[in-house]
Amino acid sequence: MLKGVTIFTTNTCAYCHMVKKYLNIKGVSFEEINLDENPHRRSEALELSGALTVPVTVVTRKDDTKEIIVGYNLAKLAPALI
Amino acid sequence: MDDKIILYGADWCPDCHRSRDLLDSLKIKYTYFDIDSDSKIKNKMLEITNNLNVIPTIILPDGQILQEPSNKELLKALNLSDVSNNQDNQTVHDLIIIGAGPASLSAAVYTTRERIETLILEKAVIGGMAAVTDMIDNYPGFEEGVSGLELSEHLEKQAERFGAKIEYNEVKSINLKSSGLKTVQLIDNQELVAKAVLIATGSDYKKVNVPGEVEYLSKGVHYCATCDGAFYRDRKIAVIGGGNSAIQEALFLTRFASHIDLIVRSTLKASDVLIERINQLVDEGKITIHLDTVPLSFNGDGKMISSLSLQNNKTNNKFELVVDGIFVFVGLDPNSKFLKSSDVRLDDRGFIITNENLQTNIDGVFAAGDIRSGATMQIASAVGEGATAALKIRQYLED
Repeated sequence: MLKGVTIFTTNTCAYCHMVKKYLNIKGVSFEEINLDENPHRRSEALELSGALTVPVTVVTRKDDTKEIIVGYNLAKLAPALI
Repeated sequence: MDDKIILYGADWCPDCHRSRDLLDSLKIKYTYFDIDSDSKIKNKMLEITNNLNVIPTIILPDGQILQEPSNKELLKALNLSDVSNNQDNQTVHDLIIIGAGPASLSAAVYTTRERIETLILEKAVIGGMAAVTDMIDNYPGFEEGVSGLELSEHLEKQAERFGAKIEYNEVKSINLKSSGLKTVQLIDNQELVAKAVLIATGSDYKKVNVPGEVEYLSKGVHYCATCDGAFYRDRKIAVIGGGNSAIQEALFLTRFASHIDLIVRSTLKASDVLIERINQLVDEGKITIHLDTVPLSFNGDGKMISSLSLQNNKTNNKFELVVDGIFVFVGLDPNSKFLKSSDVRLDDRGFIITNENLQTNIDGVFAAGDIRSGATMQIASAVGEGATAALKIRQYLED
């Protein structure tokens, strides 16, 4: 069961756009952290993903376990949302 | 023999359409009788079927009577069961387009306006490479340029307005050996069937194949400036490549980076406008260009990139640049791996060979855009090829 979904994005990132679109199609609500508007949170994205890239999607379950999906990766994102 | 097949059906009957679509796609002739058009027709059918009022009813030349057959049963009765072993009651799409870049979306605008039912399959991003390009300056009709993402969104909405369906899925392989219907296998093992297929999977940025490139992917090594450039605010980076893409992306990255080293194998091969712009930034000290230079390795501490080793081709001088990130734009590789086991003819670089109708060596299978051998790798050309392919596909489906 999902507790929440957070996505780190930037304004120009087409893959971020795709993740948001996918979540909208699946009816999953999410919090978006735009790193262009919140540059001070870049280190947070890096810490979570270990990578300097977006999108980074953080799926938090009811038991507070987290799954981090780097990039637009449907093979990982789809099962993480179940 | 074909023309002695009789099919009783009605316009409102989906199974009748399915059977007719199957026969049409295999170019098998038959005589169609609409049972709603005349009571005599319906009575004739009831006489043949011993009053079993079921449609479609199909009478074969050898006297077999099939009522509401699955596609598999119909193919078996026609001794065509080897055409495909997975067409049982499956929707037969008019057209499946693989990829959702400018060529694909422009083709879909044309096909859907012509009432050709069209399904687009995309594994990554709508708009393809165009969508991840910051600014497109040379696409006609936008005097100030247009962002790749914005252009892609417009193309997508336009295709969807006319009824194109986009499904987010990845194609594993395609079975085009059979005449008639084409089968597309997806990575989730679904099988889709279509009368025609347009391959518009485009291309992806090439790797430079040096030590450290794979190890530091997204940890200092990047292929998408619009995705990852924001992580390099006030940092030093290197951009590798000397063509239009490399220069365009380097210009975009100057929004973030404090300094860019541009590594060029020989000389700059970008358009004069782009070279003029980059030279301005060289004069301002924001960019340093290293001509005749190739990368030898990308170096780091195991977690992140810290430098790259380079060599000058002419002097053989080796040197190292300390950078926080490296962006690679050294040409394009075709997205054609899924075609390896198919019979589609590729050139020696993996691009699809087509004729002047943009048709591949297999009837009913077309290719357009960057994936096509000889393509100019321009968005405007891809859009034009998409339109051309759509018109040729219409002709193929009508024949």
